[in-house]
Amino acid sequence: MTATTTDAPTAGADVRVTFPRLVRSEWIKLWSLRSTVWTLAITAVVIVGFVLLITWGMLDANEMSGSSDDVNALDAFGAIRYLGPTAVAVLGALTITGEYTTGMIRSSFAAAPRRLPVLWAKGLVLALVVFVVTALAVAVAASLQALIFGGQGASVDLGDPQVVRALVGNALYVTMIGVLAFGLGVLMRHSAAAITTTLGILLVLQILFSLIPWKPLQDLTPYLPNVAGSQMTLTDAMIEQQAGFTGSVVLSAWEGFGVLLAYLVVVLAAGAWLTKRRDA
Amino acid sequence: MIEATNLTKRYGEKLAVDSISFRVEPGTVTGFLGPNGAGKSTTMRMIVGLDRPTSGHVTVNGKPYAEHASPLTQVGSLLEAKAVHTGRSARNHLRALAATHGISDARVTEVIEMTGLESVAKRRVGGFSLGMGQRLGIAAALLGDPRTLILDEPVNGLDPEGVLWVRNLVKYLAGQGRTVFLSSHLMSEMAVTADHLIVIGRGRIIAAGPVQDIVERGTRTSVRVVSPQATQLAELLTGPEVSVTSTEPGSLVVHGATAPQIGEAAAAAGVVLHELTPVQGSLEEAFMSLTQDTVEYHSTMGHDGSAPLGTTGQEAAR
Repeated sequence: MTATTTDAPTAGADVRVTFPRLVRSEWIKLWSLRSTVWTLAITAVVIVGFVLLITWGMLDANEMSGSSDDVNALDAFGAIRYLGPTAVAVLGALTITGEYTTGMIRSSFAAAPRRLPVLWAKGLVLALVVFVVTALAVAVAASLQALIFGGQGASVDLGDPQVVRALVGNALYVTMIGVLAFGLGVLMRHSAAAITTTLGILLVLQILFSLIPWKPLQDLTPYLPNVAGSQMTLTDAMIEQQAGFTGSVVLSAWEGFGVLLAYLVVVLAAGAWLTKRRDA
Repeated sequence: MIEATNLTKRYGEKLAVDSISFRVEPGTVTGFLGPNGAGKSTTMRMIVGLDRPTSGHVTVNGKPYAEHASPLTQVGSLLEAKAVHTGRSARNHLRALAATHGISDARVTEVIEMTGLESVAKRRVGGFSLGMGQRLGIAAALLGDPRTLILDEPVNGLDPEGVLWVRNLVKYLAGQGRTVFLSSHLMSEMAVTADHLIVIGRGRIIAAGPVQDIVERGTRTSVRVVSPQATQLAELLTGPEVSVTSTEPGSLVVHGATAPQIGEAAAAAGVVLHELTPVQGSLEEAFMSLTQDTVEYHSTMGHDGSAPLGTTGQEAAR
């Protein structure tokens, strides 16, 4: 330190806040916490493990019943939409609430006082990392499924764009739930509240709606975030089949994506508005 | 340079900061002195945009903090010990903050060395002592080599060596022409660290100016006189402007007259003087007299600073 003037001393001309730099900062933050590695590892293990377990179970059941029909290997990926988002929801919420509960948010907002770019950078890094990890896990699950059970006819057909869409849809769905938890964390600033709310939406709402015999609730069910979003994980044929037995409205994969996206936009917009207004 | 104009913050019913205006000039250490709950931290948080003022505004180097393209080179702030994620290492904490501005890892290493954190930089912050947390906070404040430093209670939790280090550091930084704004409720620390003072109580500025002026304004300078003819001298000096008290025979404490005035008066009357000592009031006294009516939380016993020392056995046992 040799500077003696009041001008920004050793700082080069290029020292300033930019969005790519905020993204880099969030990347460092995300990977320097143990919770990130744990939640992502659990997610990957759950995805690969359950796909294989269910495939094995389906083949076993088929054999027991003496059925000669091939199993639908894609059905084994159905567990992802129930089990995949849980740990990711925790990660998504902690990404922001961890900063509020520890006081880190004040350091973050002092470094980038416009605040909202910090939120977007955080959300972006979270979404990218979760998507890549879940997509890889799905790919590994599909490969192992083909390797282990392919001989028994239980492997997904990656040449079928519908199948590929459903597989990628799984990763996208899990990612979007992670972002939903993040958005709720931005709103609530409290880890337990955000995680509980997200898991409540995922696990409780649909059951609650089905238990209350009131028509408007049944009509709303397809538009619940998890119900709508799950359509992405299905092929058109599966959605058609679903329409056959539910009798109510059934959203297409892209409609479901749109509905979940709308929830994200609303939650994040509300969170952004509050973040800008509130004292940190 | 920090400039606040009619800065006000209201939390519900409570007026934390009540329309204060002040300037913090470059090249000096400005102390922000006040009892707990006086509004120091709130004011500092408003300066760096963490709290939104209810009314009024504050600028740093001519612009609201949030409008600077590189805030960390404008202002380095230590607002609370441990505004840090407890699960992250000190180095990664600093790397993440540095990354927002494109500040190099070399600079991160530099501030770690400056603050003496080398041995713990890779440890998670959760296990840090208060003192290490403060050092990390100061390291973060220095990252951008900022023109202005805002330090809220920086010596809190530091050992004597750390206190000295902070004192020398802020003086050195101010000597380089930077603006240093430092809060504390420790008057003794302010007396040796700060050049200028802003005294705040219950959200209002009570006094502002050079430390010396504040001390003079808040305390009555007195002169201690020892004389074998003390009684005669006391009668001689006492007047409407001058009061004389005596604590022991032959010794007087004179308020309202300077040492030369007393000496000359004594000489004129042929009174022998054994001692003639001007007694400077301390910042402690000035602070107490300035903030007497504004202390937020009165203790039930002895807030005048003398009573708690060995008053009762019960007190001493704590």
